[in-house]
Amino acid sequence: MDLFANLAHGFSVALTLNNLMFCLIGCLIGTAIGVLPGIGPVATISLLLPITFGQPATTAIIMLAGIYYGAQYGGSTTAILLNLPGEVSSVVTTLEGYKMARNGRAGAALTVAALGSFFAGTVSTLVVAASGPLLTSVALSFGPADYFSLMFLGLVISAVLAQGSVVKSIGMVTLGVSLGMVGTDVQTGQQRFTFGIPELSDGVGFASMAMGMFGIAEIISNLERPEARSVMSGKIGKLMMTREEFKRATPAVLRGTLVGTMLGILPGGGAALSSFGSYMMERKVSKGRHEFGTGAIEGVAGPESANNAASQTSFIPLLTLGIPANAVMALMVGALIIQGIQPGPRMVEAQPDLFWGLIASMWVGNLMLLVINLPMIGMWVKLLAVPYRYMYPSIMIFCAIGIYSLQNNVFDVYQTALFGVFGYMASKLRLEAAPMLIGFVLGPMMEEHLRRAMLLSRGDAMVFFERPISATMLGIAAIALIAMLLPALRKGKDSALQEGG
Amino acid sequence: MSWALSRRAMLASTVAAPFAGRRAAAQSWPSQTVRIVVPFAPGGTTDLVARLVAAGLQERLGVTVVADNRPGAGATLGSEQVARSAPDGYTLVMSNIASHAIGPTLYGNRVRYDPVKDFAHAALVVTNPSVWVASPSSGIRTLADAAARARSPAGLDVATSGAGSSNHMMVVRMSQLVGKEMNHIPFRGAGPAMQAVIAGQVPMMSDSLPSAASHIRQGSVVAVGMASAARHPAFPDVPTFREQGFDLASDSWFGLSFPAGTPAGIVERLNRETRAFLANPDIRGRFAELGGTPGDLTAEGYTEFVQREVAVWAPLVQASGATAD
Repeated sequence: MDLFANLAHGFSVALTLNNLMFCLIGCLIGTAIGVLPGIGPVATISLLLPITFGQPATTAIIMLAGIYYGAQYGGSTTAILLNLPGEVSSVVTTLEGYKMARNGRAGAALTVAALGSFFAGTVSTLVVAASGPLLTSVALSFGPADYFSLMFLGLVISAVLAQGSVVKSIGMVTLGVSLGMVGTDVQTGQQRFTFGIPELSDGVGFASMAMGMFGIAEIISNLERPEARSVMSGKIGKLMMTREEFKRATPAVLRGTLVGTMLGILPGGGAALSSFGSYMMERKVSKGRHEFGTGAIEGVAGPESANNAASQTSFIPLLTLGIPANAVMALMVGALIIQGIQPGPRMVEAQPDLFWGLIASMWVGNLMLLVINLPMIGMWVKLLAVPYRYMYPSIMIFCAIGIYSLQNNVFDVYQTALFGVFGYMASKLRLEAAPMLIGFVLGPMMEEHLRRAMLLSRGDAMVFFERPISATMLGIAAIALIAMLLPALRKGKDSALQEGG
Repeated sequence: MSWALSRRAMLASTVAAPFAGRRAAAQSWPSQTVRIVVPFAPGGTTDLVARLVAAGLQERLGVTVVADNRPGAGATLGSEQVARSAPDGYTLVMSNIASHAIGPTLYGNRVRYDPVKDFAHAALVVTNPSVWVASPSSGIRTLADAAARARSPAGLDVATSGAGSSNHMMVVRMSQLVGKEMNHIPFRGAGPAMQAVIAGQVPMMSDSLPSAASHIRQGSVVAVGMASAARHPAFPDVPTFREQGFDLASDSWFGLSFPAGTPAGIVERLNRETRAFLANPDIRGRFAELGGTPGDLTAEGYTEFVQREVAVWAPLVQASGATAD
């Protein structure tokens, strides 16, 4: 088989001492920045880019890739322990993961996140190796109308599945979409709702919003009741998963891997879409769905597997088309071009060392991350025992540093503080932050694709129903909406949610 | 505007005092880290060029040179920051067509700097032409094909990296020449736009050569016309717009600029070092691979160049109807 010969060649490249060392360095840096709230892979890779100039191209890319997927691993740690999502993709992990930590199952949540990520990483690495070029054509067949319908479906489902009052969650989705409208209009270049503030011309910062609504708001509400904290640090719980937890997590990991592998190929936020997608799926189909909202292990296992799978498959458009799917991939293109390599379809033949070496190194890197992370879970969990009077100020400082470093702009720090206060008020009013964030991420993308589809069809809305992919998505969305509006089904959903608490 | 001016005057007076001994400052320059502000997010062409230049200057100047990304508001945020920083030779901006030629008209009053007067323009780093590419499935092979498609009832869709970009302005100018407005489809950056063209969702794209070069070489898109004065050495088979009867040439460019008031000695030294770095055959090769031409202008030459560009773009931006107000 060609595939095995190629993979063997890849491993022979990835397992040289130099490449192994840089893979390890990348994974360590990635884990560290993932754990530190706010400092994301984009900022780190751009800082470290000059260091890679002196290295061979393959080594450079192996290290940068290590930082990227290492950050996905590390990001789940703060999401679970501190309710602080550092990345779009770990927002979902906070929902069930932090609840699990409060229930004394922080160790199990971290373990399942690490194991699930490793499994997903293994599968998606094989997928990249076996069918990269084939999957690219799937991604290419997605037109603007299809994207719009996919995202519309995502919004509908996020409203249908939200906890508590549907009216409130629709309100929060709408608020999120509205906040997403702030900034420069893609079609005309006009400024919208920026009130003359130049910093708002590129929109409200996602990191500021996520960190404020989740992290800072959580700290404020914890300060209100200092007792809750000491109770929690008292019972850290067993580190390993119980047999029951393992049995529940396995199918969730499998489903998450599948969702992540597919959605990761789509350009523009594949990793984020996939963790949202997997969370929604688990909430609907998993055995533990009645426990969602109180710390269901499926809600950690699925999304964590999905975002790791997606971060691997998001290399497919880069490696096969030379098109970056997100900001990190754009930096990778930059790193390659500086090395004098043009990413694109010919890379597989022209640079077999780089292509197969990178793929093999992804698997090696995932293995390293598992080895780094599993023994450290005990240490991370001990973090919970640190008295909050030390913890709060340090989290706040790291958040501020992280937010500042994203754009080197103090305005973002103020934004975060503002969202912190708003998030606290929202939690007092029992308004969920997650639907707002989903609306914020999906809303502007939806608008962009809607308007582009309409521009291309010369204003004919039928384009959304004529394309099979788009029509299917809209059909499912319609069914979900009807199901939500039917009173009998509504009652059923409410009672199911109430059971879950 | 009066507020901005008075504030600028105030700033100038406060920063001028410590640098009264300018001659002394110029002689000992550089003695600390030099910061090049990149007004775009990491990963773009400007960022790449800035990092290459930073690495080269670091070697030649013997001090650390860092590239500092300050993206936002069409590259005007970072540029404004540099315009207002101390003219001590340690802060520069990667000046470019967006921040210094298109932005001031596009953003109007919101740009609180003068692209010529508030800077000491030091060196032109690289210029690269616009290129029009077509999806292989579109059947468009020449600009005449494109013009015919534009005039047909169906019209012609043209993708760009964004509204208000120099590539968008190319679509405006081409529409004027063809006599029929083309359907401008803006994307968020060149990557997604190129993907739509490769997939055949949009038949045509107006792009900068560095981001299109690899796709042209691989044959995933067809280069239809190069908007340079003469055929590009890296793509000798691609005819220019002028050869095809459309009088258009458009380059995007990047350079290095200090805040106004920086001692002339420092500006000259940076100009010298930058040009020496750009003359390196290895670096020329890298730029050529990307489709760029390294700049070789004096500081005065670059200042005049910026002046000319401002004059060329202002009426076009107004004609395009793209405003940020």
